[in-house]
Amino acid sequence: MNVPKVKYFADVVVGEMLPTTEIVVTLTSFIVYAAATWDFHRYHYDDAFVKRIGLPAPFMDGQMIGALLARELMNWGGPDAFVRRLRYRQRAMVYVDDMIVVSGKVTGVTAEDGRTHAQCLLSVMKPNGTLVVRDALATVELGRKGGVGVTASARSCR
Amino acid sequence: MKSRITDDLNSWIRREVTYTAPDKLGRAAIRYFALALDDDNPVYRDEEFAKSTVHEGIIAPPTLVCDTNQFINQKLDENGYIGHDWKLPLSDGRFIRGGNDYEFIQPVRPDDRVTVIWKIVDIYERETRKLGGLIFVVSEARYFNQRNELLAINRETNIYSP
Repeated sequence: MNVPKVKYFADVVVGEMLPTTEIVVTLTSFIVYAAATWDFHRYHYDDAFVKRIGLPAPFMDGQMIGALLARELMNWGGPDAFVRRLRYRQRAMVYVDDMIVVSGKVTGVTAEDGRTHAQCLLSVMKPNGTLVVRDALATVELGRKGGVGVTASARSCR
Repeated sequence: MKSRITDDLNSWIRREVTYTAPDKLGRAAIRYFALALDDDNPVYRDEEFAKSTVHEGIIAPPTLVCDTNQFINQKLDENGYIGHDWKLPLSDGRFIRGGNDYEFIQPVRPDDRVTVIWKIVDIYERETRKLGGLIFVVSEARYFNQRNELLAINRETNIYSP
């Protein structure tokens, strides 16, 4: 197993980009996510049903987008990280076989009461330029085990 | 234009509904959620590794608690849906998900038996050029474990078109 590295306050550079991830969403991924969340609505897998209600194809559960954003944040922050806040608005539907690109950057870091946090902005876009999510706002708590240096202080940018 | 917000609809503001999971969340549910997201973060599946982290054991991916319908002990409806539904008096028109604002107070763990309290905090209308009058319903869900400790808050906006 490739053991991930804990990320501490000193490791985070304001303005740094989060890894960009390309995801092709398939009917299989919709069905597995639907089952994992006990959401068996036909929206997410029944092509004939969604066409009857005027949509072109089965579409992604809106909260799956939040789950993918959280995945990116948790993996970026390493095993001691924990997402504290995630706020986003979905501006466009994601349909089966769409590709989406998740990207983000660190806009600030704060240290308070022995805990350190990174603030991030994330976006989800289709290759044709359609913005699915613009500027999702996230706060990630960073590693704590000896990771908070005495010189830790707030830094930020937009 | 006549508002679609009736006294009946307004009376839904501040209504609450509570669901308590019939059983613990369980490690399998956590592993399955991670699998569905193609997420191999070991804090969700490897107890020994997770114990070495600040979490001191396996935790659930943050949004799992806000998205699973595992807590709801009822049958599927005619379209396969099992989750929370206010069944507001707005049956005509299309439902659009407006967005989520999650606060994660503490990680959810396999032994947690979750209670969620849903509440409608606001209902308002906005006129749009493209779709006409849209009704926005803002709900808040608060998730607790079996010790009544707050785990997460999910503020969700849903939009109903004419």
